[in-house]
Amino acid sequence: MVSINYSSREVCCKIVYYGPGLSGKTTNLQYVHAKIPGTTRGDLISLATEADRTLYFDFLPINIGTINGFAAKFQLYTVPGQVYYNATRKLVLRGVDGVVFVADSQPDKMDENIDSLANLDENLAEYGYDLKSMPFVLQHNKCDLPNVMTLEQMDAKLNPTGVPSFMSSATEGTGVFDTLKMIIKLVLDKAKSGGGQTRPNASAVSAPSPDNSVSAPSAAPTQSVASAPTATSVATLPQQPDAPEVVREEVDQAASASVVESAPVSEPASEPEQYRPYPGSQSQKIDIKDKKITPAAFTPAGDNIDSETPLEKKVVSEDTTGETSEDDSLKAPIMSPSLKKTALRKKRGFLKRLFGVR
Amino acid sequence: MADDSLVIYEEEIQQLESLISKMLKGCEAKCALLVDKDGHLITRQGFTHSLDTTALAALLAGSFASTKEIARLVGEPEFSILFHQGKKDNIHMSLVGDRSILVVIFDDRTTIGMVRLYARETSVELTKIFEQIKENPKSGASTAISDDFANMAQDKLDDIFQD
Ligand SMILES: Nc1nc2c(ncn2[C@@H]2O[C@H](COP(=O)(O)OP(=O)(O)OP(=O)(O)O)[C@@H](O)[C@H]2O)c(=O)[nH]1
Ligand SMILES: [Mg+2]
Repeated sequence: MVSINYSSREVCCKIVYYGPGLSGKTTNLQYVHAKIPGTTRGDLISLATEADRTLYFDFLPINIGTINGFAAKFQLYTVPGQVYYNATRKLVLRGVDGVVFVADSQPDKMDENIDSLANLDENLAEYGYDLKSMPFVLQHNKCDLPNVMTLEQMDAKLNPTGVPSFMSSATEGTGVFDTLKMIIKLVLDKAKSGGGQTRPNASAVSAPSPDNSVSAPSAAPTQSVASAPTATSVATLPQQPDAPEVVREEVDQAASASVVESAPVSEPASEPEQYRPYPGSQSQKIDIKDKKITPAAFTPAGDNIDSETPLEKKVVSEDTTGETSEDDSLKAPIMSPSLKKTALRKKRGFLKRLFGVR
Repeated sequence: MADDSLVIYEEEIQQLESLISKMLKGCEAKCALLVDKDGHLITRQGFTHSLDTTALAALLAGSFASTKEIARLVGEPEFSILFHQGKKDNIHMSLVGDRSILVVIFDDRTTIGMVRLYARETSVELTKIFEQIKENPKSGASTAISDDFANMAQDKLDDIFQD
């Protein structure tokens, strides 16, 4: 989803490098990061395993400069290619504007390439995106290795629709920039044709019934054909139907909380008082309670006792010491003596059964 | 849905920012970021100078996305609030509308309770603004990406990509 901010005057696009494990996605970003001037990029962030396999994503923001008064920014992401990371891989695709598929051009990797491409199609479909209308570039990587397949051989297997494709060596840099330039071009071309007319489509997103979502884009004739979601993709999109519900719930909750004082936020005068949703005394109480409880709630029981005030310490120990000294595993705070005995007996019975002790 | 660009105008950003800075004053937090679920930073307020907010936005959105997925797997519709506690600083994240996340960074000058309270209120107001943005489409949204934008971008890229 191209993000256009008229306040900070920037256009921001999200590009995802997809492909099977070890195909060289991370290496692509590393090369770009190493070769472009420091002023045009941010840090490369890699959420990876100890063995340098991508676990969630790599992230490299680049800013290619100001065009017509707008900073053109691109966020490059990679996905984890390993098959069993599909859950996180799918998440990275959210809001994607363009995809680079990094294939491994060694002959014995072809099956993995094909599986990964199919997986890309599936995962995009879950967001209601379609690979056919998505800016998409193929990169056949590792061309520096001996006995790799040719561009024609690779395309024959992976590129039936004839999208732009490149041979590359991410370690040496061949084809890395060509790939990036091409995907950026495709993304911007699409943003120009479809991305500008965004408001009608944006409101279609909020429409809870799938019928509306489908009819709205077709009602907007300026929408590029490629970008109009198909009826099926919208109808099967799993997130859209429940997302608004969740929000409504959240809003309801929040609204009921603010019923206590319906201070209009737009009034600037005496804002601290205006904004305080609860009567002073009550919010004071919350304040104190929270200050004391927060550290305790996040440390193992027992540790926190030192950090409490002496008064509270006494109270705490009176409450719990009885149980804790009797049996460590039964330190549930409130338990009637009879229940406690039963629990103890049950536990002994369990141990007997477990270890065969009589 | 792949193409619903987020287009935000100056005045809308100002409305969002004034709500957020009001919240910061109210709950005495250090700073706040408003992040798109896709990882784009929408705006920021407070002491963010020393922060790499671009990277933060991407990571926070990633963190929120993975938590959402965890929620789905355990049968929750969505964890609408996420809280990270640190030694000095804490981070509170909450959902705004259906596509943004309000991130508040605070230290021991305030409490999680206060932050939660103010974030919840602010979130409602922010949601209203996002709904306005959706409901009142303005013409001229396409002026940012002009016809020659892509070509000029290619030239810029040639400058940058010199081996
Ligand atoms: N010879 C050669 N090796 C490469 C090339 N590109 C990447 N490699 C090597 O392949 C290995 C894996 O590269 P990565 O970039 O980490 O692969 P990845 O696609 O990010 O893998 P995952 O994170 O597991 O999905 C590394 O050892 C790289 O050095 C290339 O063009 N030629
Ligand atoms: Mg990787």
